[in-house]
Amino acid sequence: MSTLHVAGTEPAVTVTGLRRAYGRRVVIDALDLRIARGEFVALLGESGCGKTTLLRALAGLDPIQGGRIDAPGKPAVVFQEPRLLPWDSLWRNVSLGLPERGAREAAAAALAEVGLGNRLDDWPRTLSGGQAQRVALARALVQEPELLLLDEPFAALDALTRIRMHGLVKELVARHRPGVLLVTHDVEEAIRLADRILVMRDGAIAAEHLPETAADPQRFRALLLAELGVQGSAAA
Amino acid sequence: MSSLDSSFGVRRTATPQAPAAAKRVRRPISDGQHRIGTRAHVALSWIAPLLLLAVWEGLARNGWIEPQVLPAPSKVVATAWKLALHGTLLRDLGTSLLRAAAGFAIGGGIGFVLGTLVGFSRLAEALVDRSVQMIRAIPFLALLPLVIVWFGVGEGQKIFLVSLGVAFPVYINTTLGIRQVDPKLLELGRVRGLSTAMLIRRIVLPGALPSILTGVRYALATAWLALVVAETIGAQAGLGFLAMDAREFLRTDVIVLTIVIYALIGVLADSLARLLERRLLAWHPNYGAAR
Repeated sequence: MSTLHVAGTEPAVTVTGLRRAYGRRVVIDALDLRIARGEFVALLGESGCGKTTLLRALAGLDPIQGGRIDAPGKPAVVFQEPRLLPWDSLWRNVSLGLPERGAREAAAAALAEVGLGNRLDDWPRTLSGGQAQRVALARALVQEPELLLLDEPFAALDALTRIRMHGLVKELVARHRPGVLLVTHDVEEAIRLADRILVMRDGAIAAEHLPETAADPQRFRALLLAELGVQGSAAA
Repeated sequence: MSSLDSSFGVRRTATPQAPAAAKRVRRPISDGQHRIGTRAHVALSWIAPLLLLAVWEGLARNGWIEPQVLPAPSKVVATAWKLALHGTLLRDLGTSLLRAAAGFAIGGGIGFVLGTLVGFSRLAEALVDRSVQMIRAIPFLALLPLVIVWFGVGEGQKIFLVSLGVAFPVYINTTLGIRQVDPKLLELGRVRGLSTAMLIRRIVLPGALPSILTGVRYALATAWLALVVAETIGAQAGLGFLAMDAREFLRTDVIVLTIVIYALIGVLADSLARLLERRLLAWHPNYGAAR
């Protein structure tokens, strides 16, 4: 499969011939993927196509049954839920897993970046859904990851909060320049955020697009929807 | 057209009326609740117990109740004062508290360690859990005769019985608490590269703490109950000894006194456990002080 490159050549992750199976059922087979540092890749696909399985394999959460995943550093993950430890203050949440020394300062800087710099010592339960997800984002970025994995992190947010989060993520990624893999089923979100869009179907990457080069946004959207198996309504 | 108008008319007049009517209905009830403020409510709730105490005092003083059956409350207070000053009350109280503390530490420690092991490891569960559940099926006080055969009626018997009563609630709630820790948070810990020790310290134990503290609170009550029974059976010192000694001489005032002390310490232990919950679970919406 041809791979389009957008950003620099330094890879954040290189996947070759990945195979992922649950018992006998093969979910992903012979999958190749390369994400460069600073490149924002969106992975679109309908439920059960294997996109979350791929993300979990890249995160090192599940064992793989074949192929290679080469990543220079430890990836950071933002899940669909914020997954904050309710018994730890925000800065303790953000600095989870960091060395004790300088942890608070690092957490404070990361929280300031997501606009929560004045709430270091608050409990997670005092946050709204959007704020909690911003803390999760700060927690991911404080690792200074070379690969940032986003597993539908905006799916549970209301529409307005989601739009604000899009802006924030775009800004933060531009500043820190990790390679990003965003798993989503939201075509709009993918177009708005990604340098490159991959469409996944039946455990393989079925199509690859560069939204920048799309001449007609309307038709591009319809094309993506068609590739996701949504016909008819797309053109309207 | 006219029907439309009239229907609008009805609606227009109905709208302002409906809330007014609702208010009229609600008002007396909410006012009624306001009239009994929190303080007044507390004060009211004390009327019945105090009245009961007064009636008891009156009946006892006028000889309607034999002193051997139930002494007057004032007499019990006087006895408490006398025993504290000249008698062995404080020493006996200390002895009892020490037994409870020792039994609690031993039983709680065993329950916590076993509970943690079983909570973590399927292997430990396979090896330990069935035996524990089988022993738990025995009402632990039923073991008393056997425990006396083993330990006599010395300190060993009392501490053993308290430990036994404490170990099970702590064990069960620790296991349960660890099992209930959100697997998504454990996964997060793995993504962050936490070592097993850190995973336990930062995620598993804090997550299990509410349940563990519930076990501790329950265990405190059990410990106390076990102590009362153990001390009543045979002792040379302690509150139970004081009560059984007093029985020989029909000193019901002393007996009532020990019962009251048992009750007070039970209440005290429970508030201690609740204080612990409030301090340690400040993050928890159900325990922590509201912000």
